[in-house]
Amino acid sequence: MTEAPPRTAGPGPAATGPRLVGTSVPRKEDLALLTGTARFIDDIRLPGMVHATILRSTVAHARVRSIDTAPARAVPGVLDVLAGAELVGKVKPWGDLMQDLLVGDHFPFATDKVLYEGQELAAVVAGTRYQALDGCEAVAVDLEELPAVVDPEQALRPDAPLVQERIVYEFGEGNVFDRYRVRVGDFAAAERDAAVVVRQRFTTNKQAGAALDPHGCVASHDPFTGVLTLWSSTQSVYMVRDVLADVLQIPRTKVRVMVPEVGAGFGSKAQMFGHEVIAALFSMRLGRPVKLVLRRDEIFRAGTTRNSQVRYAELAMAADGEITGYRDYVVHNTGAMSVWGNQVVHIGTNVGMLPYPIPNVHVDSDIVHTTTAPGGPLRGFGIPQTVWAKEQLVDMAARELGLDPLAVRERNVVDPATFPYRTPMGQVIDSTSIKQCLTACAEAIDWAAKRAAPVPHEGLGLAVSMKYTSCRHPSLDTDLSAVRLRLETDGTVTIYSSDVSHGQSHATMLSQIVADGLGVGIEKVTLAPPDSMTAPFGLGTYASRGAAVLGTACRLATERLRDKVLAIAAHVLEVGPGDLDTGNDRVFVKGLPDSGIYLEILAATAAYRTHQLPPDFEPTLETVATYDTPTEREASDGSGNLSVTYSGAAHAAHVRVDPETGRVTVVDYAMVHDTGTVINPLVVEGQHQGGFLMGMGMALSEDYVYDENGHQLNASFKDYLAVTAPEVPELTRMSEIPAPSTTIPGGQKGAGESGTGPVPAAIGNAVLDATGIRFTALPITPQRMLTALREKERRGVETLRYPDDMPDFTGPRCPDEWPSPTAAEADDFDFDFDFDLDPEEGA
Amino acid sequence: MQQVTLTVNGREVTAEIDERTLLLEFVREVAGFTGAHNGCLEARCGCCAIEVDGEITKSCNVLAVQVDGAEVTTVEGLAPQRLAPVEHVTTQSLAGMYAPLEAVRTRAEDLHPLQEAFHRCHALQCGFCTPGMLMVLKGHLEENPEPTRDGVRHAIAGNLCRCTGYQHIVDAAMEAAEVMRGDAPVPADG
Repeated sequence: MTEAPPRTAGPGPAATGPRLVGTSVPRKEDLALLTGTARFIDDIRLPGMVHATILRSTVAHARVRSIDTAPARAVPGVLDVLAGAELVGKVKPWGDLMQDLLVGDHFPFATDKVLYEGQELAAVVAGTRYQALDGCEAVAVDLEELPAVVDPEQALRPDAPLVQERIVYEFGEGNVFDRYRVRVGDFAAAERDAAVVVRQRFTTNKQAGAALDPHGCVASHDPFTGVLTLWSSTQSVYMVRDVLADVLQIPRTKVRVMVPEVGAGFGSKAQMFGHEVIAALFSMRLGRPVKLVLRRDEIFRAGTTRNSQVRYAELAMAADGEITGYRDYVVHNTGAMSVWGNQVVHIGTNVGMLPYPIPNVHVDSDIVHTTTAPGGPLRGFGIPQTVWAKEQLVDMAARELGLDPLAVRERNVVDPATFPYRTPMGQVIDSTSIKQCLTACAEAIDWAAKRAAPVPHEGLGLAVSMKYTSCRHPSLDTDLSAVRLRLETDGTVTIYSSDVSHGQSHATMLSQIVADGLGVGIEKVTLAPPDSMTAPFGLGTYASRGAAVLGTACRLATERLRDKVLAIAAHVLEVGPGDLDTGNDRVFVKGLPDSGIYLEILAATAAYRTHQLPPDFEPTLETVATYDTPTEREASDGSGNLSVTYSGAAHAAHVRVDPETGRVTVVDYAMVHDTGTVINPLVVEGQHQGGFLMGMGMALSEDYVYDENGHQLNASFKDYLAVTAPEVPELTRMSEIPAPSTTIPGGQKGAGESGTGPVPAAIGNAVLDATGIRFTALPITPQRMLTALREKERRGVETLRYPDDMPDFTGPRCPDEWPSPTAAEADDFDFDFDFDLDPEEGA
Repeated sequence: MQQVTLTVNGREVTAEIDERTLLLEFVREVAGFTGAHNGCLEARCGCCAIEVDGEITKSCNVLAVQVDGAEVTTVEGLAPQRLAPVEHVTTQSLAGMYAPLEAVRTRAEDLHPLQEAFHRCHALQCGFCTPGMLMVLKGHLEENPEPTRDGVRHAIAGNLCRCTGYQHIVDAAMEAAEVMRGDAPVPADG
């Protein structure tokens, strides 16, 4: 159903041959992945390689009395053991760059205190993995357990256990790591003039990226040259290289980061981790290659998770349905420590206000530490959390005013008369079709007809969002990617980039751009594996920036390469460059596509017959281009245009709720997106479907479940309910209404995360329609549903907000004023081990 | 230590191994076939699925010593006749003869119908779960030549994929089933 995007002016229109941008070119990546020859991190074996394993804390919060590694050294096969004490003063803490801190708060091991379950205590390297595990068991650990703090609101209390003791933050002692605020317009005036103000406390869950390919690395230090080579399963070559070199205090040129195939990340591999430092240290101490690949339970406990939030959210609406204001107090749980966590609430809130140009926005956020797994980026970067609250409030206000939720959204989504349009929040909308997407989405789910004939236990829900394409993070003032291209002397092309493809199809997508721009056959274009020794500096693959930012760098490099090729051809043919065109692997005089000079001849000339080159032509055909987006830094009032362009997503869910089991089934789901000019429609469709999957997990099943001691009860795919195939509806009601970006030369917008943003809210709104229960907590598990249905029946009410029913909530001003929930014991956050979603699951 | 012999993708492999060695580890580290992947080591993600004496098995949940003497097929054994596609892209005379898409299309006759359908339908993104998906679906389609979409979904309920939302995987399985039945010609185009 994906519509073909309009063709936009590319670099040098190829007069002959089909244009590949806009077509579903089969992927260049597939052959190795389909046949088992692709090499992921755990597939790498080097001569003399040994194996490391990390001993992790089994308690969440404790003072370290002693960690004795001596017994481990006596275990057969053990070569070396490390713990935190001996590294203090030798290894630099990290986390300062991304968090804008003076001193980093991350260290390879816990030294004085354990801050979360799974934190590194010691590590062992041995001849085999089993020997390393035996060594870990022999390490003698003496910890004095301290009270844990799992709940982010409890972490704010004056008597709460202090998580980070050594670091004095701007806001003094306590667990508030950072504060964030938005002051746009005048919410108090909007509140005064509104026909209705709806208010609700919402909570969101801690979701795992759970990329199936484990985090891991192989470090190999050459004791003679001092070069440390690190193969790592990461999303960002240079973030790992630069931070690792800084931590080890060695020159950047002595650290080489290479990336094998990466089996996905979703944001969870967008930073350097302790295991990368540990493997590097072992290799430096032993002079041998060291492999360290994490186990699944380690990734659950010590990887990064979606930041959970508590939101006291309010939305003001005029009688005609106009959204006039939004106010929110957000308690943002960033875990015990987090490289990216505080950025999530900034961007998730700023961009999360879209697609509504709300004139009055007032947000306060406390970003707090708890003794839980580190928060971090995860598909959607804070936007699904914001949209979960805001899009449910839109429905609540519409219902209070007796308006159709669809009509209210159609009235409010950004639909300016002229572009670019700057919203009150500061976003510059260069193009959008979000209104058309919304209408088309409602038609696709058959909104009007189905609502006119309601079916018991079934319901419909809508949600819309706009997602950033790239991002200038508040503490990281850059948004760039780069590409180097080389026309090889046989007419093939090599692309160098440090933005790691881990499912996004960069090899295919970039080759499509190069093939169109240079007139070279796509089969002749190759993407080099990411390698810091050869690739130009780029930030990495995250924030849906691949197609737009990396793609634009590739387009610019292609244009420069084409100019050089034309210059040589013009000299040889004695015509002007403007008289020439490219296509079919050739440069030819316009109008004569069957003649011309093959690119390989020109490339060989540029390298091997340099006296035939035009005067002053710099030999060889290699070009570099860097694209830094024209985005803004966040202003002090929280406003700003943080993203180069914005993709639109309108989603509609049709759910059925089984009153016997409490299970929510998504029976149908419609998604209409604006991804601008689509480079490869099938790839973009796949991105949206995968984005939906992650949103569905957030909505219905995935969460970190902790006991009161901060022990995670479900650090395994046995208990952490990742969404399986039978639970997912057929995702065929999908279409694109492209509004090509006018900022990005090729018109692309980000595709990776727009499928996720609206999903929990759309399902939440549909659940209300089906049951009369407004869920305020995620995920909507069968157990919670059953409790809510019983509570609704007990009270004999038509509608119920669950678990937090707060009719007296008039807006929080400080923690002491927060109302207490009045619904049934909030909550049953217990994990139901007996519940089996599907008897055939895990067959 | 114990001696174990397995036939992996037609090749007999004998080794002295630690009794704790998992079948997955034997296949990957002893026999050298790294197509089967370790995603969880608790038989939940399905990335390690291989065929053991005709049965599709999660190889992380079996000790190698338990299946001594078995015949094992991994994803590498799905297309044993496959040769690396040779692309003539270096000579002037041949360069013009190639249609732009010709050489990126994998050659259907070399691949298992499931591999071909996965490629055509974009049923893989990062590709980490793909070998397990292919093996489980091979078993399902051989037992169910006329599968239903729902049946396919339940067949892969023990295989996680975090990238695709499963839609294109189900599409690919249905298309591959047609080819395997002989109902459909091997599609000529992507």
